[in-house]
Amino acid sequence: MSTTERHVPGRAGRGRTVRASGGLLAWRGLDLVTTAVLGVAFGVVFIVWDYALNTPWTGLTSAFPPAGSLALGVWLLPAVAGGLLVRRPGAALLCEMIAALLEFWLGNPWGAGVLVSGLLQGAGAEIGFALLGFRRFGPVAAMLAGAVAAALPVVAYEWWTYSLEYSWPWKLASLGFSVTSGVLLAGLGSWALVRALARAGAIDAFPAGREHLAARG
Amino acid sequence: MTGLLRRTGPLSPLLAGFVLMAGGLTVRDVAGGLAGLAALALAAPFALAGSRVSWLRLLAGVLALASVTWSNWLLASPRELEPALVAGLRVAFFVVPGIVLAAFVDPSELGDHLGQRLRLPARPVLAGVAALQQLDDLGQEWASMARARRVRGLGPDRSPVSQVRFAADLTFSLLVQALRRAERMTVAMEARGYADLARPGPDRARRTWLHPAPWTGADTTLVVLAAAVALVPVLLPLVVPPGS
Repeated sequence: MSTTERHVPGRAGRGRTVRASGGLLAWRGLDLVTTAVLGVAFGVVFIVWDYALNTPWTGLTSAFPPAGSLALGVWLLPAVAGGLLVRRPGAALLCEMIAALLEFWLGNPWGAGVLVSGLLQGAGAEIGFALLGFRRFGPVAAMLAGAVAAALPVVAYEWWTYSLEYSWPWKLASLGFSVTSGVLLAGLGSWALVRALARAGAIDAFPAGREHLAARG
Repeated sequence: MTGLLRRTGPLSPLLAGFVLMAGGLTVRDVAGGLAGLAALALAAPFALAGSRVSWLRLLAGVLALASVTWSNWLLASPRELEPALVAGLRVAFFVVPGIVLAAFVDPSELGDHLGQRLRLPARPVLAGVAALQQLDDLGQEWASMARARRVRGLGPDRSPVSQVRFAADLTFSLLVQALRRAERMTVAMEARGYADLARPGPDRARRTWLHPAPWTGADTTLVVLAAAVALVPVLLPLVVPPGS
């Protein structure tokens, strides 16, 4: 495969899903660097979120902590958006891990826990995309990826650490709030974001951008 | 005496963080949690001598711990103080040192170590390192875009809605800028042989790194120290049976 391959506007049929060029695992240099830079940009947003917004948000929702999980989707944006943009296995994980690493490095309230969360969130989004065979990247796929990305860290990690003493109904409630947030904020949010980036002409070299060009004719 | 953390590479603080996390999750009662924190306090000078700790970052961690304790009291059934305290202590055991250790993981050094020590694939690792180096520029870009908007009278007013909309606008612009930047970076990196890393065969074997990534005695000592501390809450119930 050629790592300098650029977009070919005529390639995508109208309304068809454009898949990553050269086979699913043929990562181009541009894919890797873009995924990583996107991760860093989201990491910057995370830092703002951690300090400026999440502390008041935690305060506001402390009367009813599971509602705090409604904001969880913000942390899943890199995973779902990275997967939607690059459309290769590993993109969601790489993007989320870089954002988490940045958050870990610049200081966050959870120490090394943030890396575990990031790993599980990225892996969750990968599972979501894999369930559809990395063939579909529309709103449904985005919502599925967002849902699994939200559910996996809650079930595999948070229930056993941050919310160990919750009674089971509350554990399930916080799972429900997390998945809702993952579906709406991370799933639909990332999908809308990637579509807006395609309209802005910022991702013409990626499948999502090619799809937009093809649909426009 | 120089603290261990001034002499270690980036991998051992990371590993120490995970070792402490594994130990912390075994905390079952208040005594175990307190003993663990005491062990941490005893070990801290060996690791930290001669280094500065950011109290502001620790404060955020303390707030997070308070919210963990609070919600584990509020949502437990029946509501009991002790299990909630244990939940807080359990998380404190790895969150507080984790925040401190994070400051000693340098991202570009981490890239060297991930590539050479852990032999992770070079291309994603280098993409990550290159991207993390853009952090300052992306931050400046954010600031100058915010300034430009304010000068044109497009800044937010006092209402939270307009503040959030302003931040969302800026986030989108930042992402567009980041994507353009990634394109330029890719061209620059490909021109310097980045793609060769993907090619199988002898080319790949010859891949060299600018900086060495040694695992030193200090790294081993730090991990052993973390393991010793992490064992305190694990072993305490065996030595002093709970409830005695």
